[in-house]
Amino acid sequence: MAVTRQIHPLDKHLRLERIPTLYCPGCGLGIALGALLRALDKRISEGAINPDKVLWVGGIGCSSRMVFYVNYDAAHVIHGRAIPFALGAVLANPDLLAIVTGGDGDIAGIGGNHLIHAARRNIDMIVLMFTNFVYAMTGGQVAPTTPRGVSTTTTPRGNPEYPVNAVKLVGSLNANYVARASVTTPHYIEQFFYKALGMRGFRFIEVVSTCPEIYGRHIGLRDPVEMYSELRKRIKYKHKPSLEEAEIDWERGIVIGEFVERSNPSLIEILKGVRS
Amino acid sequence: MEAQPSLLSRTTGKYRVSVVIDRCKECGICIFVCPIKVLVKSSVLNKYGYHPPDPVNIDKCIGCRLCEYNCPDFAIYVEKVV
Repeated sequence: MAVTRQIHPLDKHLRLERIPTLYCPGCGLGIALGALLRALDKRISEGAINPDKVLWVGGIGCSSRMVFYVNYDAAHVIHGRAIPFALGAVLANPDLLAIVTGGDGDIAGIGGNHLIHAARRNIDMIVLMFTNFVYAMTGGQVAPTTPRGVSTTTTPRGNPEYPVNAVKLVGSLNANYVARASVTTPHYIEQFFYKALGMRGFRFIEVVSTCPEIYGRHIGLRDPVEMYSELRKRIKYKHKPSLEEAEIDWERGIVIGEFVERSNPSLIEILKGVRS
Repeated sequence: MEAQPSLLSRTTGKYRVSVVIDRCKECGICIFVCPIKVLVKSSVLNKYGYHPPDPVNIDKCIGCRLCEYNCPDFAIYVEKVV
């Protein structure tokens, strides 16, 4: 029998009958989910957001399963198509606050084209991409974000391809907010998501996550604490870094911070004639 | 019948640290991030066979809530005792 009485301060935002999550011990996604719910809780208690107007959309993958655990309206759709689903919902009902969660394989790999065009059209939604560098749920195949040289299930002699830099890609388009945080800095996830909740237009937050079970096995950091401490050593916060610094390099460090902040008119604002 | 969630809770002075025993997955991140090593792995076994942490050095707790922020399974929380 699951624990169903509310005890933890975040329990009112969770579907307690589904807790504990299916995530492996030490998975960074749970840390990120906690940080997101704290930011959402802050906005709701300030009265800025109506909890009945919040919509979570997830595709396929560990990170997309996050929508199973939140006590809000949520949709679980086909692989990579979370952004088109959220676009349809927002166009049908512009009052909705659409939050899309997904992994690097779901958002940047399978749904990469949707990501580019949603950012270009500046559609009102928040896209959270959790980068764990592999397709973890299916057994650790190479993903578009896998660093060069890492041996995965499908690249046993090392990954020969260059990875995609999602922050630079989205930042070069018409997105209003582009930031990157890490699960080793949950306060920054909370701060960036809190800020994104108060904006309009396309908001993109990349969260660098730990995956000790699958990615840690490939790079030799199988222990959750070991992987957490190795990632924490490499995270560098910068105030307003440039898009040139956004490259994820395991040796030289991973820069986190708010890369892009614009106030371009969003698609809904253009369609309503509020701004052009 | 609804089973009461079992808590491993310790209070002294300013703060109370509580662990929801059956949610813990024994990843050890809370023990690692605590700056003054309040938490220690306990000998209690939960229903999934994991050992939740025990806040044995609670009198040294500074209430930074890093364990609460870094727990992936919503299993630990810190309250201020009034």
